[in-house]
Amino acid sequence: MLSMKNISKVFKTDLVETHALREFNLEVNEGEFVAVTGPSGSGKTTFLNIAGLLEGFTQGDYFLDGVNISNLSDNKSAAIRNEKIGFIFQGFNLIPDLNLAENVEVPLRYRGFNAKERKRRVQHALEQVGLAARMKHLPSQLSGGQQQRVAIARALAGEPRFLLADEPTGNLDSMMARQVMELLEEINKAGTTIIMVTHDPELARRAQRNIQIVDGQVCDFTMYQGGERTIEKPHLVTGSQEPSNQDKVAS
Amino acid sequence: MLQIKPILSTLMRNKSGPILLLIQIILSVSIVANASFIISERIDLMSRDSGLAESEVFDFRVYNFNPETDYGAQNGRDMTTLRNLPGVIGATSTSMTPLSGGGWMSVFTLGESEETAKETEGAAIYYGDEQMLKTLGVKLIAGRNFFEEEILQGSPNQANLGIVSQAFAKATWGDEPAVGQVFYAADFGQEPVEIIGVVETLQGAWVNNSSLENSVILNVELAFPFTKFLVRAEEGTLAQLKEAIPAALHRDNRERVVSGFKLISEHRKSAYRNHELMATVLSMMVILLLLITSLGLAGMVMFNIERRTKQIGTRRALGAKKRDIISFFLVENYIICIVGGVIGALVAVQLGQQLMSLYSLPQLELIYPLSTVAGLIVLTTIAVILPARKAARISPAIATRSV
Repeated sequence: MLSMKNISKVFKTDLVETHALREFNLEVNEGEFVAVTGPSGSGKTTFLNIAGLLEGFTQGDYFLDGVNISNLSDNKSAAIRNEKIGFIFQGFNLIPDLNLAENVEVPLRYRGFNAKERKRRVQHALEQVGLAARMKHLPSQLSGGQQQRVAIARALAGEPRFLLADEPTGNLDSMMARQVMELLEEINKAGTTIIMVTHDPELARRAQRNIQIVDGQVCDFTMYQGGERTIEKPHLVTGSQEPSNQDKVAS
Repeated sequence: MLQIKPILSTLMRNKSGPILLLIQIILSVSIVANASFIISERIDLMSRDSGLAESEVFDFRVYNFNPETDYGAQNGRDMTTLRNLPGVIGATSTSMTPLSGGGWMSVFTLGESEETAKETEGAAIYYGDEQMLKTLGVKLIAGRNFFEEEILQGSPNQANLGIVSQAFAKATWGDEPAVGQVFYAADFGQEPVEIIGVVETLQGAWVNNSSLENSVILNVELAFPFTKFLVRAEEGTLAQLKEAIPAALHRDNRERVVSGFKLISEHRKSAYRNHELMATVLSMMVILLLLITSLGLAGMVMFNIERRTKQIGTRRALGAKKRDIISFFLVENYIICIVGGVIGALVAVQLGQQLMSLYSLPQLELIYPLSTVAGLIVLTTIAVILPARKAARISPAIATRSV
C-alpha cells in the first residue's frame, strides 16, 4: 500500500541545512491502522506531508498503491491526493464560508463528479459521521468534535484508499477525542488504511501498530492487538549500509 | 473547473469587500462608458474633413488706413503681387477663413413664388474670385468654377453666381442637381444667385455649429479698408512668405498694416482646443478610473489570498490543481465584475440620458457600456491572474501547519 525506502528530506537555507527525515524506511499494508508518534520536531509532520504528497522529498523511493511517487507532476500529485488519500487535520481546516455539505463537496468537485453523484456522496459521508441533519449549518455553528467529524466526512466522501490524520484529536477534549477515535476505528474496520500522527500515547495504543520517529528516523515499532502489546521489532529495514537507529534500538 | 455555487456562497457570506468592489465597478462602468462616448464624439468632431489643404493655406489681414485708397483697385494689385511671389500656388481675397471662428453666415430664400418661398439652412458665405477653389484646395464635383470676368467688385449684395458645398446642396435640393438652381441672397425676388458649381467638402468657420458643412462661395471681391487674404503656398514656405508678403505689399503702398499669417491647420487646432482638452481630461479620467478599479481588484485578490492562505493549502491538499485555484479567483472576480458591469451599464444608460437632456449631448450608444463591460472583463483577468498564480503556488503542505 505504502512503501518508503531511504527517504530523506533536507530543508536548506543560506546558513543552515536541516535533515527532517534521514534514510526513512516504512511499509504500511492495506487495511492497517498505524499511529505515528514522536517528540516535537522529530519529523512526524514532514513524514505525513511526504506520505500525503503534500511536499516532495530529497532522496529515496516512495511507492503509493503501486505508483512511483518520485518526479510526479503537480497535476498528477493533486489527482492522486484527490482520489487515493483522505486528509484529517488537527485544526479541521474546514472552509468557514461554506456549509457542511459544501465543505464535504470540495474534493468531489475537484474530482469532477456530477451534481447528483456529489449529493449522494455528501449525504452518505455526513450520515456516516452522524451529521446529515446539519448539512446546511456553517462550521462555526458546530462544536470542535463535530467539526472534526465533518472533516472526516470530507475525507471519506471521495472513498480514498487511505486516510492520513494529523493529530486528529489534538484540539478536542477527551470525550470528543474518544468519539473521533472510535469513528476512525470504525472506518479502519471497514477496510480503509489509516496513518495517524499523534502525541497521545493512549490513542496511539489503540492503533494496530505504533511507529516512533526520532530525529527523522523510525526508531521503534510496536504491534498491538486488542490494546495488548504483542510484537516489538523493526518492521522494515532496507537500503541502509550502516545500522540505522531502529536497528540499534531493536538490538 | 467552475465552482460558481460555492463561490456565490462565499461571496454572500462575506459581503462587505465584494460590495465595495461592486460599487467601484458600477461607478467605473457608468462613468467610463459615458466618458468614452463623449471622447469618441469629440474625436469624430475633430477628425471631420474640412476639404482644405490645411497645411498649405494661410490667411493674413491688410488694413489700408489711408481713406483715399481705392480699395477695389488696391486689392486687385495686391492679388497680382501675391500670385507672382515664388512658392505661391494661389491667392484670393476672402470674407472669412475656414475654421477660424469668425466670418459670414446667413440663410437664403428660394421657391416658386413669394408665398411658397422658404429658407435654406444656414451656410457660411465666402466672397471670392476664380482662384478661391484653387487656393483652398477644394474639389469641384459638379458644374464649373467662376470665370475671371464674372467676378464683381465692391458690395456683397451684387453677387449673382454661387458655388455651394455638397452638404448644402443636399440639404437644400435633396437629390436634385444643384447646378442651375437659384436662391436669393436676401428676401425672395431680390438678387438671384445662380448655382454654377458644387464642391465636395467646404467647411465654415464655426466648428461647433451644426451647419459647419454648409458653405457658399459668391462671385464678389469685397472692397473694404480691411481685407483678408487666403494664400496657398508650397508646404514649408510660410516662414519665408511671412517676410516676403509684407515687403512686396509695402512696395506698392506703404500706408497699411499687414498682419496675421496663420495656417488653416493652426486655425483647426485653435478651433478644436476645447474639444481636445475635454477629450484629454476625460481620457485621463478613464485611465485613472480603470487603474483604480484594477488596483481595487488586485488588492482584493491579494487580501483574499492572504486571508485564505490556509484554505488554499487545504484545497490543494484535497486535490485542487493549480489551475483550479486560479480559476477560483478568476470566477469569483468575474462574478463581481459581471454583476457590477450589468448594473453599471444600466446606470450608464440612465446617466447618458441625464447628460443628453442637461447638456444636449447625443444619446449614449449601447456599444459603449457593452464595450466597457467587455474591457472590464479583460482588465479583471489581467488584475486577477498574477495574484491568483501566486496563490496557486501556495504549497499544499501549509494545510498541516498549525499557524
